[in-house]
Amino acid sequence: MSGYWHIFRHELFGLFISPATYVASFYFLALLGIGFNFFIEGFARTDWILPPLSSLIVGLTFGAPALVPFLTMRSFAEERRLGTLETLMSAPVDPFALVLGKWSASLIFFILICMLAFCFPLLLWLGFPDQAISLGFNQVEHWVGGFIFLSAFGASFTAVGIFSSSLTKNQMVAGMLTFTLLTLYLAVMAFNFGEYRDFGSPEGLDEFIDICLGSLNQGLSKAQHFAVGIIDVSTVLHQIVLSLLFLTLATLKIERLKH
Amino acid sequence: MNAEAKRLPIVDVINLRKRYGLVQALKGISFSIGNGEIVGFLGPNGAGKSTTLRILSGIIAADSGEAKVCGVDLAEEEGEVRKHIGFLAENNPLPEDLRVIEYLNFRANLKGLAGSRKRERIRLALDACDLERRISERKIGNLSKGFRQRVGIADALLAEPRLVILDEPTIGLDPRQSAITRKMMERLRGDVSFILSSHILSEVEACCDRMIILSHGQIVAEGTMHDLQKMFINKTVFEIVSSNRRIDLHRAVRQIDQNCELLYDDPVEISKKSRYTFSTTEGEGKAEEILRALVQNELLSISEFQISRPDLETIFLRATKKNWENQDYLGRRKISRPKLLDSPSIHLK
Repeated sequence: MSGYWHIFRHELFGLFISPATYVASFYFLALLGIGFNFFIEGFARTDWILPPLSSLIVGLTFGAPALVPFLTMRSFAEERRLGTLETLMSAPVDPFALVLGKWSASLIFFILICMLAFCFPLLLWLGFPDQAISLGFNQVEHWVGGFIFLSAFGASFTAVGIFSSSLTKNQMVAGMLTFTLLTLYLAVMAFNFGEYRDFGSPEGLDEFIDICLGSLNQGLSKAQHFAVGIIDVSTVLHQIVLSLLFLTLATLKIERLKH
Repeated sequence: MNAEAKRLPIVDVINLRKRYGLVQALKGISFSIGNGEIVGFLGPNGAGKSTTLRILSGIIAADSGEAKVCGVDLAEEEGEVRKHIGFLAENNPLPEDLRVIEYLNFRANLKGLAGSRKRERIRLALDACDLERRISERKIGNLSKGFRQRVGIADALLAEPRLVILDEPTIGLDPRQSAITRKMMERLRGDVSFILSSHILSEVEACCDRMIILSHGQIVAEGTMHDLQKMFINKTVFEIVSSNRRIDLHRAVRQIDQNCELLYDDPVEISKKSRYTFSTTEGEGKAEEILRALVQNELLSISEFQISRPDLETIFLRATKKNWENQDYLGRRKISRPKLLDSPSIHLK
């Protein structure tokens, strides 16, 4: 894992000095803020049974395909286009450390944006404490559950982005590929939302696949658990496995460039 | 460094092969480079120079063969090898949005330097490449080609490498900047081994101890300048400036060397003298013998005498010419077709 820490710092620094990241983050947060504002204003008239904070989690999850490409598309595609990946590979750096460093930097940035999004209810709480309490913003478990859900899904989303970026020299292609893969992922989750599956007795192949793809097709249903502060460990594990899968694929692609 | 240590190979390559699709880029090359040696890698475009250098720096893997750098096998301990190497890639790709000092800091960290040693090494690398403090604070994207090239060389020198691989280091540099690069290599001569790939033959000739000439993935010549001159040029050419008549001078020369040929004579402006160019197959010793005899001859007046040694360009062209003639564009050996097939009308009959 030689070089991981330095790659991570370098990438994070790169994200902080890139105007594209700021522009994307600004628009993303602005749209999310406007959406959240409308949701809170009309919350009393909706039949939303979950805590209002969950709307922010759903908004961040479904908005991720628009944000994650901006965080990950440059990572390998730009390095390959400029040729700096070659210079990087001439240093004693492990390819997995390289992939991991770039991924963790984008994940940290994604989490940072999620935390900035969490400032909306926080500001509401500071400005209007009574209303905030009536909306349940004083329930810490809602915050923690939502944060873990976003971190787990953010990990796999950014891993998909890093993998897409390793496939091409063109960062626009990498961005579009990330957007497509994440949209497909969310579409599968949305179509399976609310469908009940009994994972108690896995007998056939279908059940086995269901268990393996648990958070892929049941992720949104599981979001309900996280929203009320119940941490579904299997969902977190699924996301970790998914992240490792895409990071390994990206590493193999980088290793393949040597041949 | 003593002679024994210098003989120890820092690079040892045996039968290295690499193929890119249909193109066989390296066809089993073998060579070694001694400790502290500066070796020039020459060859036409597509000869396999960059491929060899990229394999040695661990960026790409060879298909077969063995390459050892500092006694460590590249295939087995690639990461270990990279610690001993400083590499400047062709076209020197650098991140545009970093300042020079930030970039060198990052590279030093990756190469395992830390604390005061890191600061010291960065300072030394900046000094070695004549990069002032003012330049080190500027963004790489705003630097001229020459400064960018120097940043790349500074990066290659950062971690006290035992082997520095420079792929086209002076491309796009002005003569002053090229001279700085040469001076830098001169300063480190003996302590660090250099592999220098360049198309600027005068530069290679000026600073390299030895040259390796590649063509179509094969080594077509290897040795010191003197070795190469002996290998490819079998005639010694010398020039005499004299006021004597052509016939008198030629006769005097032929008295010493029967086989000496007068190639051409040109009048020297204003002086009413002529410059005569002779060639002999007997070597430089015979040319010097001719000079002594001509000087002693009272009837002759010799103003200048010069043995013209063939430059690297002549050697390079001769070394690569034969190889080019025998290969097609994919680097395969050309098959000479029977004459009958060249003429379809005859073939049909």
